[in-house]
Amino acid sequence: MSRSSRLLVAAGMLFLSGAWSNQARAVGVAAGTNIDNTAQVTYSVGAVSATATSNTTSVTVAEILDAVVTLQTPSVPVVPGALQQEMVYRLTNAGNGPETFQLQMTSTLGGDDFDPTAAVPSIYFDSDGSGDLSAGDVPYSPGNNDPVLAADAFVTVLVVNDIPAGVVDGNRGFSRLTATSRTGSGAPGTTFAGQGASGTDAVVGTTGGDGEATGQYLVASIALNAVKSQAVVDQFGGSRPIPGARINYTIVVSATGSGAAASSVFSDAIPANTTYVPGTLQLNSLALSDATDADAGDFSTTPAARVRVQLGNLTQASGSQTIQFAVTIN
Amino acid sequence: MIQGTLKFIAAAVIACALQAPAFAQTNCVELKTTGEVEKEVVNDKGEKTRALVPAAESKVIPGTEVIWTVTARNVCKVPSDKVVITNPVPEHMTLVPGSVFGAGADVSYSLDGKTFAPAGKLTVTENGATRAARAEEYRHIRWEFKNPIPAGSSAFGRFRATLN
Repeated sequence: MSRSSRLLVAAGMLFLSGAWSNQARAVGVAAGTNIDNTAQVTYSVGAVSATATSNTTSVTVAEILDAVVTLQTPSVPVVPGALQQEMVYRLTNAGNGPETFQLQMTSTLGGDDFDPTAAVPSIYFDSDGSGDLSAGDVPYSPGNNDPVLAADAFVTVLVVNDIPAGVVDGNRGFSRLTATSRTGSGAPGTTFAGQGASGTDAVVGTTGGDGEATGQYLVASIALNAVKSQAVVDQFGGSRPIPGARINYTIVVSATGSGAAASSVFSDAIPANTTYVPGTLQLNSLALSDATDADAGDFSTTPAARVRVQLGNLTQASGSQTIQFAVTIN
Repeated sequence: MIQGTLKFIAAAVIACALQAPAFAQTNCVELKTTGEVEKEVVNDKGEKTRALVPAAESKVIPGTEVIWTVTARNVCKVPSDKVVITNPVPEHMTLVPGSVFGAGADVSYSLDGKTFAPAGKLTVTENGATRAARAEEYRHIRWEFKNPIPAGSSAFGRFRATLN
């Protein structure tokens, strides 16, 4: 699916976004920090006033080992036999010092209807930040490129599985990502002397020094696909993307699988630094007014500029739906 | 005889005052701070009990409570009067409300190290409104001992603070 286009199935509204709302916990004072305490006293002996300063008591902050794994894709719709289906996870170093983590993926879990088949490799880093599996993503190789995270830092990890051919609509298959602190894990409070940041002791935190999250693949009756293409036309008859040039977008939406995607809505944000050209929205070459009215399309500037087309109930038999609109480069 | 003794003390005080000020500053009251952490330990009988261990030997991590003790010891042969201990809440730490202790001392607090006031009397201005400062916001603690510390004796103040 194109990154900037988003299909919305059923009544719910869903927008593609690179920013997720999961916030890492505050981690506290960095491991290795010295906490110093010095007191002062004033006093009198007879008529003489004096002051004195205490020794300085110093305490070095030890390192906490805590890993938090959160699932970014609550349920991944798949079709039987689909290959390279990714779940998106975020691993956050919830400790207070830099830490290396080992990753492990498990797809043979109970409580689901089928076991996804681990792809080879099955764990990738979302190196290009696209939020999905793409050519630039680097596979995880245990012991070779274990993620090293500063305190509070996170990395986006993709878990990739193939879907067996024999599954049917409504089946669920679970897959789990586990991250374990390389320094150590175990019962909270377990200490690894001298193995923390800056030679401090490392102490297993409340997460046990590891974290895990489990996602699910849901065999969907129908899958929607959107392919977006663009053509630039500049005001001098060329195709250079310069201020004033026009970009004509074409998005082709198609449904595959059985059943129907009810009340499908196509919504696409007007790209930053461009302006929608009024009256250019079309569905299957039929012009749609910009107003929210009887026809299927509308353009809105709130909360952000976007075009929207109600596609209704889509089935595989509906065939391709072609949406077009244009913007100018500011 | 009595008169003679009084004269003698007066002479000693004058002699003391005539000494370089450094004499009094460095010699009469020695101040010492210690930081400790409460730990569950197993004693000789195999029972679990709580004990204080030096914080420097402990694994202090964010959230750990450190018990700070400041001890003023009078090492002179005469009493020390008007003893006032001031201790900043260490950087990266937050005072545990209600944890300040000091036998025989009036305790006051400060946000800036300049203005000291008893608990509840300090104020902060936030978004144009003035409110009472919370104990967690106190950055300095002061113990003013009501009585002199006799020769060879000591007095102490204590507080708990949590590592941020």
